[in-house]
Amino acid sequence: MRLLIILTALILFLPHHALADIVVIVNPRSSITALTHHQIIDIYMGRNPGLANDQKLQPYDQALDSTIRSEFYYGITGKPVSAINAYWARLLFTGRASPPKSVANDDAILAIIEKNPIAIGYLDKRYLNDQVTVVYTIKRQNQEKPDTELQNTHLSDTLPVTEKP
Amino acid sequence: MLRLLSFLLTVLVMLPPGQHAQAFDLGTDRLRVSGFGTLGLTWGGKKDYGLQKEFIHDPQFGGVSILTDSVFGLQVDFNIAKNLDATIQAVAEDRIRQDFNNIVDWAYLSYKPTANSVIRAGRMGVDLFMLTEYRNVGYAYLWTHPVIEFYKPISLSHYEGFDFRYSRRIKPGYFEFKVFGGQTGSDIDVGSGELNLRMRPFVGFNTSLEENDWKIRLTYTTTDTAFIKAPADPLVNALNRVPQALWPQAAALHDQLKGVDTQTHYFSVGFSYDKYNWVVQSEFALIASRWASIGMTNGYLSAGRRIGPVTLYTVGSYARSNNQPRVDQNQIASADLQGLAIATQNLLNAVHIDQNTVSLGMRWDFHSRAALKVQWDHTWTRKHGGGLLELNKPLDHDITLNTFSANLNFIF
Repeated sequence: MRLLIILTALILFLPHHALADIVVIVNPRSSITALTHHQIIDIYMGRNPGLANDQKLQPYDQALDSTIRSEFYYGITGKPVSAINAYWARLLFTGRASPPKSVANDDAILAIIEKNPIAIGYLDKRYLNDQVTVVYTIKRQNQEKPDTELQNTHLSDTLPVTEKP
Repeated sequence: MLRLLSFLLTVLVMLPPGQHAQAFDLGTDRLRVSGFGTLGLTWGGKKDYGLQKEFIHDPQFGGVSILTDSVFGLQVDFNIAKNLDATIQAVAEDRIRQDFNNIVDWAYLSYKPTANSVIRAGRMGVDLFMLTEYRNVGYAYLWTHPVIEFYKPISLSHYEGFDFRYSRRIKPGYFEFKVFGGQTGSDIDVGSGELNLRMRPFVGFNTSLEENDWKIRLTYTTTDTAFIKAPADPLVNALNRVPQALWPQAAALHDQLKGVDTQTHYFSVGFSYDKYNWVVQSEFALIASRWASIGMTNGYLSAGRRIGPVTLYTVGSYARSNNQPRVDQNQIASADLQGLAIATQNLLNAVHIDQNTVSLGMRWDFHSRAALKVQWDHTWTRKHGGGLLELNKPLDHDITLNTFSANLNFIF
């Protein structure tokens, strides 16, 4: 009985942060209205995503140490951000590609996407506005944020799914 | 000490001005300055059996060395025009010849005629195996150093020539094909002295297919040794002068030891898997060559498990010479040739390779641009199989070696 009370108390006091999904956004002037999971991976992993008419997109990243960056990459690749950083070091120092330019936060991403017709970025869905177009959504469960950027294994069961914008 | 000073001076010369990371924010998207480095401590080798992770390094006969793994690199990428870029990479590390020609590892132009293809020309990184292009960038791979049994035999860092790469997504994954050609060479330390090697033509291709969490890669390269200057030249030349009637085998032994005008073919297959908490990588190669020092088969299997920011890993590797030519005493018709025969057999024993290593290690990603690694290597080398070691005396019995390394890897 005592155990039951303790467990109930623990459940009641556990934080229940409702995390919003991560959305990938482009400028409304872009002809792109939706992207596939593979295309998102290719864009953010330095590959050619094979867009119609060889359209170019310029990817922007959130701050290097931000939680949203680690959750974004984990959501699309299933790898911790340390593996992504090492991957980009391989691409950069073999002359294959340069990593996406990092910006400070969601506001900075929004500001760039609103201005630049070929820019693509991602941000917390709560900060969306009607000046940008959502082309992909990464679902997040309602749960506590991971303690570190490097261990977000509780996202492992949450496969990214596309949503119609 | 001279080589340590030489290494430190090279690093100092390469350090860009400015004290902060902001020094690299050059205010333009067209110019990018980035770099990498490793500060490493290695304990390894024995009194008569020197550890040498790369042929360009001084061998380590016991004790602790800062030079074995330490390296510093600086890369400048400049966008000249639409689809046209220039890249220069300079690398400071312990090497037998610390000159401008060796320090500039890359200097090339790249042009993208289409979204799927790239043509490059100039001096570029040799792209034989999975790590050969970025073996100096410790932050980019799991271990403290590339697997010695697999990567040490490739003492080539760069080549001058061209490459063409085509890549696109196809149904099973992302496909890439690359063909390259040019010439290469290296100046290396083989214990008894300096060996200068020039290889041309140096041509080959590699192809890979990768999905998000796995990659398979096949490579083929062939090259001809156009020039070699080695400490063993007098012995090899002496073999060439022996009349066939006095020692019929001498011509064949000369052929297997001379190096020059010898065609070498490199075949390899690689596989990697990286998802969630598991990291697995494996490569196997066949180096087919009449040259006894080079012809071998080798491979490794590495498996790692991520636990938060720490990855624990183990690696098993091997390297074996394809042939073990021996001097046949029965064929020697003159007693005057006994000295040459003994020296020849000693050389054949010294270049022969028969070695295995098991490694345990840990990588800790404590920062988004830096990692700390520690690794223990336990190596078994068979009698007359020490071709990957530096030998002060003939290896006439099996030995084991332990190597400990601790590295700080960083990028900026």
